[in-house]
Amino acid sequence: MSKQTSGWLRPMVATFVTAVFFLPLYLVLVNVFKPGSEIVDSPVGLPIPPTLDSVKQVFTRSDHLFWYGLINSVEVTAVSITVLTVLSAMCGYFLARSQGLGARIMLVVMLAGLMIPPAVIIAPITEVLRSFGLMSTVMGLVLVNVGYYVPFGVFVFAGFVKTIPVELEQAAAIDGAGRMRTFWQVVFPLLRPASASVLIFLGVWIWNDFLNPLIILGPAEGTTVTVGIYRAMGEHQQDYGQVFALMFLATLPVLVFYLAFQKHFVKGLTAGASKG
Amino acid sequence: MSGGPSRTTRRFGRLSHFALFGLPSLALYACFVLVPIGIAAYYSLTNRNPFNPPTKWVGLRNYRTLADDPDFWKVLTNTIIITVAVTIAANAIGLAIAVLLDRRGWLYNALRGVFFTPVVLSGVVVSVIWQSILTDDGLLNTTLHKLGVDHPPGWLSDPDLALYTLCWILTWQMIGFCVVVYLAGLQGVPHELHEAATVDGAGPFERFRHITWPLLAPALTINTVMMLISTFKTYDQVQVITNGGPGDRTTSTIAFDVIQTGLVGNRSGYSSAVAVVMLVFVAAVSTVVLRLLQRREVNA
Repeated sequence: MSKQTSGWLRPMVATFVTAVFFLPLYLVLVNVFKPGSEIVDSPVGLPIPPTLDSVKQVFTRSDHLFWYGLINSVEVTAVSITVLTVLSAMCGYFLARSQGLGARIMLVVMLAGLMIPPAVIIAPITEVLRSFGLMSTVMGLVLVNVGYYVPFGVFVFAGFVKTIPVELEQAAAIDGAGRMRTFWQVVFPLLRPASASVLIFLGVWIWNDFLNPLIILGPAEGTTVTVGIYRAMGEHQQDYGQVFALMFLATLPVLVFYLAFQKHFVKGLTAGASKG
Repeated sequence: MSGGPSRTTRRFGRLSHFALFGLPSLALYACFVLVPIGIAAYYSLTNRNPFNPPTKWVGLRNYRTLADDPDFWKVLTNTIIITVAVTIAANAIGLAIAVLLDRRGWLYNALRGVFFTPVVLSGVVVSVIWQSILTDDGLLNTTLHKLGVDHPPGWLSDPDLALYTLCWILTWQMIGFCVVVYLAGLQGVPHELHEAATVDGAGPFERFRHITWPLLAPALTINTVMMLISTFKTYDQVQVITNGGPGDRTTSTIAFDVIQTGLVGNRSGYSSAVAVVMLVFVAAVSTVVLRLLQRREVNA
């Protein structure tokens, strides 16, 4: 193969492979903006002229599936990731800076939690929630999310804290700041890159979660957008227009969030990959 | 990450520090992870069924039942097939694509973005997309019909095929993760090594084999462990696309089975035993694989 062919061959192959990979996503994108009859006749064609019929149908459903789901998803995700960032930053800081045996055991116990499949514990979780009177509530789902994902946050923050010089905290201590004040005014602002990773990863995971909201929140008004897609799917096996539109709208917030913070996301993901 | 805190660290000595910084996280973790594991372990030793009390202590009977239960072995086999197939496929395809995209420029940046998109989609969304393509009257088979194929495969309705279709769907979603991690690894491979090897007469494949591949060891570790752990839990796609079928548990995974027998079938005692086995399995496999791969990193 000569130098010249390899010059255009790589971009051509790369573009072709990517296009094939992208086909399923393309299918959703174009069909969101087509009328139902056209989806059946020519599923792959471009939507000319584009129509917002399916989107309007999703917005105006009589059971308000989309709106209830959206409110719940925003509430659950926003509250969960805020609480998770604060609690896991404090806990990660504490565990990274303590040298006691208790703290080391606690770190190991928490890290073991990273591997636990949700299906293993969801049934007992419903019983714990029932005993607190929190079953079928947003509050209950938030607490479950915090408990389940806190090891991930602690893992990220504990690792990051070790890269911050202790001298900064000692200086603050000499100036008379207590532990709390040192943490909030000196350490926490320095943890911003770790906070970004935690917020983005957990934001995406919690927004996309299926099993926990399906079982904890229950039907109708308690659904999230992700579970809503599943429910809509059951009703309209053949009406892909509406299901695709619902999927598109349910995914839009995550995609915007992801695109806005893409750098942090990829950085967080690859932090360990190159260094090992 | 750099080493532990230095000798001069002001220690967290006091209990009040633990109460302030550590306790809130630990309490929630205990409530919603540790206690539920304890409950599952306890139920696994009883005949609990919420609709058929009283609950009695039965010792290891549930474990003996599941060892003799062909359905349990079927879902375990399915889960192992899915986990191994997806881990290998996502790594292999992800590495190939990473090598293909390992160039600078706007085009390559845009293409990388495309591969990563499915990683941020929910399992439900990915399931619905592929279901619309792969059902018997879905897009793929309609197209095959038009091309003159009279009996296109029943991707999701053929009991012999559905499990592998599911593997492909999971792989498609995971590829992007592997691509990103491998790309980061590839960027850490020093150019000088490649140049030196080229001067010594090494071809592209020899250079990949002896320079790039050993240096990708940490990326391989991360991708393998991540793929194993996340695929082993497969639930969403089974629930949404196949509901465990077609036929008898042809695509049921162990996570799906735990939910089906426990929350749908109300056999809490038995399903807890399955859950405990699953937990032990995932812990053992990930520990062993992590050890092996890390040893390989050191030797490489």
